[in-house]
Amino acid sequence: MDAVRIQEEDFSIEEEISAVKKTSQRIGGITAFVGCARDFSEGRDVFSICFEQYAGMAEKALAALRDEALQQFDILEVRMVHRVTTVHAGDQIVLIVVGSVHRKAAFEACEWLIDTLKQRVPIWKKETTPEGESWVSSHP
Amino acid sequence: MINILFFGLIADKMGKKSMHIQAGLCLKTMIKQTGCDCFKPLLIAVNQVQVHDMAYVLQEGDEVAIMPPFSGG
Repeated sequence: MDAVRIQEEDFSIEEEISAVKKTSQRIGGITAFVGCARDFSEGRDVFSICFEQYAGMAEKALAALRDEALQQFDILEVRMVHRVTTVHAGDQIVLIVVGSVHRKAAFEACEWLIDTLKQRVPIWKKETTPEGESWVSSHP
Repeated sequence: MINILFFGLIADKMGKKSMHIQAGLCLKTMIKQTGCDCFKPLLIAVNQVQVHDMAYVLQEGDEVAIMPPFSGG
């Protein structure tokens, strides 16, 4: 499977970590960030979260982030998966896996990737709450 | 013909996900004419690349996305 994907279906954390590990025997540290759906947001219950993407641009932006991280940090491999579907509390939304020779670069790259993904990748979420549906406008 | 795409909150408020206009307008004028100037902040992409120069004149076949700030992850 591609190292960068936007998909409806769930992903396997173990398979993505294994795929990173297989790319190089120089890898000594792997970090993973998993974003999950919460059952609350800004003090109110959230029943579900629906994601929308700008198909095409979202994949390109995600791939560009991976390329930039591989250039900017002392890391060996990156895999990223973002789901675009309706999810419920506890469901997985996004996965970032980074492999590097030493752990520090993997931690730093992983944090940069999720922070920058929220700013640069055209994906939006709409929450369903007891008050109805509302688009999430910020990216904390 | 220019294909304009709306996303997220903007699509909901516009009541549509896309529309067509003729080529020749600059982005700033197009945004005003479509009524999207009331949405702030606003992100614009032309042919799937984010642009900041609102003086850009739309060319035949361009695809323009009018987007609210991203909230993925």
